[in-house]
Amino acid sequence: MAARGAARGQLIAVDGGGAGLAAAAKTLTAALRGERDGSGVSAWDSSGIFTELTAVEEIPGPSARTLTLLYAADLAFRLRWQIRPALDAGLSVVAAPYVETAKALAIAAGLPRKWLQEVFRFAPKPDSCYHVVDRGGRAKAAAKGDYVACFVSAMASADHAIDAGQLRRQSLAYLTALEKQGRCRRFK
Amino acid sequence: MGERDLQRWRELLKRREASRGLLVAFEGPDGSGKTTQRKLFRQWLKSEGVPVTTTKWNSSPLIKPLVKVRKQVRALSPEEFCFLHAADFRHRLETEVLPALWQGTTVVADRYLFTALARDAARGLPFDWLLNVYSPILWPDVVFYFAVSPDTSGMRIAATRHPKYYEAGQDVTGLDDPHASYKQFITRVIREYQGLALVFRFVTIDAERSINEQHREIREHYQQLQRRPWLEWNVETIADWLAQSTTWRLEAQRGVS
Repeated sequence: MAARGAARGQLIAVDGGGAGLAAAAKTLTAALRGERDGSGVSAWDSSGIFTELTAVEEIPGPSARTLTLLYAADLAFRLRWQIRPALDAGLSVVAAPYVETAKALAIAAGLPRKWLQEVFRFAPKPDSCYHVVDRGGRAKAAAKGDYVACFVSAMASADHAIDAGQLRRQSLAYLTALEKQGRCRRFK
Repeated sequence: MGERDLQRWRELLKRREASRGLLVAFEGPDGSGKTTQRKLFRQWLKSEGVPVTTTKWNSSPLIKPLVKVRKQVRALSPEEFCFLHAADFRHRLETEVLPALWQGTTVVADRYLFTALARDAARGLPFDWLLNVYSPILWPDVVFYFAVSPDTSGMRIAATRHPKYYEAGQDVTGLDDPHASYKQFITRVIREYQGLALVFRFVTIDAERSINEQHREIREHYQQLQRRPWLEWNVETIADWLAQSTTWRLEAQRGVS
């Protein structure tokens, strides 16, 4: 499922949230464009799933597990229409966010790591991986273009006893742990 | 989830077992007549004084509109198709099915998890991965599987309409003719169903017979039904649901005190 085949481009994952994510993606893409024209960013909610979801005034809202499945659906869309075609054409793609953002939030919300590992098995391993630190704040403004803000806001309004600050801290701790394990680098 | 939490949930489930509703799933290919049987069965349960509700496939008010639009533009990959249906299923499970069962209402599911397993496996997705996407699984008390041949399914569908693009599996067969594609795809789906029926011990109903004969058989099976104890089958799933929902966790705890 996750086989890359003869893809020639580089897949660069940037995980985390907030304004730093878009800035990191922009910087990395600019650097890549210096090497080869046509490289681009694959951003969260390219499929429009979450935009359409917020238009539905539905109570009760989605759980952490349902949100994670929707994130995976959006990622499947991005892989099919943005990431794979670009890689196959020899272009590099900055996927911001990629798999670890969804995992970090879901684990912070209490979902099992094993389940997440399996769910995201369909996504190819990136060639390099970065994370940015989300300082929070600006939750409402950021929610439109940021999965972290969207997830935190959904959990705060749904039938859950999960504190928003705690969610952010725990998801950041997950990404920091990846950095310590040498599985991703902090973007500075 | 720690062992102590699980122990607490086990205690809750033990107390709830006698008063909970039953989960009855109706499965089978398109054109097998399961919706007709589901309606007759529900009507009969109501006449017997059993509190009953229905949940239908791909019907969550939150997710259904998303799926509908994407099916219309034919832009879904097998993975995206799978995840959207899994999200729909999970949302209905957490907000409709489990609350109803917990309160003692019997739930009749017009298609359940096995529809996804059969269709998505027929689309080439790995079975172990699919089971995980749908985990934790709430196992029904009984699954009635309406067995028809690919020819019967195709003829019954063709009698009223053209099969739709994804229903005909045109996204994976690559065939332009929806009827030819449907026949090829439904043959794969039925093969998957037959495997599932053996592994998960479905009650297979010969859906080539008359409506009345089938209904009588379903009633007989239901009257002899041995419920699948939640404590043996569904601890993880219900614990997961109660852990995620403040309202139902408090409701469950009130039931114990």
